Amino acid sequence: MNLRAPGRADALAAEYVLGTLRGRARTGFERMARTDPVLAEAVRRWEERLLPLAQEMPPLAPPARVWQAIQKRTRGSARDAPVPRASMWASLRLWRGLALAGLAAAFVLAIALFTPAPERPEGTLVVVLATQDAKPALVASADRTGRILTVKALAPVELATDRALELWALPEGGNPRSLGLISASGVARVALAQSADEVLRNVPALAVSLEPRGGSPTGLPTGPVLFTGPVQRLY
Amino acid sequence: MAVDKRLERNARLMELLARTALADQKAFAELYRLSAPHLYAVALRILREAAAAEEVLQESFVNVWHHAGSYVAARSQPLTWLTSIVRNRCLDQLRRREVDTVTMDDEEDGVKVAAEGPTPLEMLLSGADARAVRSCVEALDAGPKQAIALAFYQGLSHSELAQHLKQPLGTVKSWVRRGLERLRACLDELGVSR
Repeated sequence: MNLRAPGRADALAAEYVLGTLRGRARTGFERMARTDPVLAEAVRRWEERLLPLAQEMPPLAPPARVWQAIQKRTRGSARDAPVPRASMWASLRLWRGLALAGLAAAFVLAIALFTPAPERPEGTLVVVLATQDAKPALVASADRTGRILTVKALAPVELATDRALELWALPEGGNPRSLGLISASGVARVALAQSADEVLRNVPALAVSLEPRGGSPTGLPTGPVLFTGPVQRLY
Repeated sequence: MAVDKRLERNARLMELLARTALADQKAFAELYRLSAPHLYAVALRILREAAAAEEVLQESFVNVWHHAGSYVAARSQPLTWLTSIVRNRCLDQLRRREVDTVTMDDEEDGVKVAAEGPTPLEMLLSGADARAVRSCVEALDAGPKQAIALAFYQGLSHSELAQHLKQPLGTVKSWVRRGLERLRACLDELGVSR
């Protein structure tokens, strides 16, 4: 799909939202929109343009069994005992947030690059984890050959005593992999099984989710995603 | 007045989404009560099968329960956000159906467009909501207008549009493309989308 031609990205976003972009073109476009902030923004704008038309339709009450089924699947505070769900990581919204976080990261990186660094920047991995509205919250960094990932909270994160923050690697095309729990304030050091280079190979982004104390019981994120950020390799 | 009501509803939906993100079951139930009839109508139009529409609605709301936290109020209207979740799931379903049934040539069985209720065009042109969008759609030429309405409300693909409107595929494609371009220019002029 050639998106370089002027107006092409916007035209595809329009047909994506309208629904006429189909088949492989649709999945391909969706995949690209996850990592391309320009595409994601084009989609958002077309949604704002077209989706109000959906509200013109006469509402129609769904049968009661739909809500009963939803309740069955969410009741008992489903977030405390959830089913593993990898699908959320495919959510376009999450990736849009990530795109914004990318901008935030670029900004912080620009500062980092113009500040004399005591370390060797050419061998460092940096991830700025930001909220959905692109406010940087945590900075994670590691020496590419080192086995420690340092995570610094830029401001303390408010956290109930029975909750924990869990850091995840989001590998390309795979389920999130837990990297460990991190503290809500100050600096956390997360021990890696291998060098940062190895552990974060094919990992375009990290995320932090809110979990029960002790971490996710399922091995996959169960709580809301608080922060996301793209992995920047300074080498 | 209608505008006030809409703003009020939006504010309410935003609050409910925020509370749903904090696992508030009551807020989630009210969110469903307020928005499900809109979303069910959207899904049923596109999928044309009650069972499939119910399934999409169920999946969408389970998804909303888990990801209400990813809704960013400043970036889109709550009902727009919910609608995009439901529509994308519907279009995914259609895609799966297309993979299952490759042949669409049978004139009789090819495209069944829902017959009951207002037509897509009438729907575009009625109601008090989305006034600007509607006025811009109204300003389109007949062909593009009809193609866009059918694609939007009934989820028709380019080839289904061609079949339904009895036009060559190329014509229909250019109607859709031109229609969207015009729509965008018109909305930009009215300052609707940033």
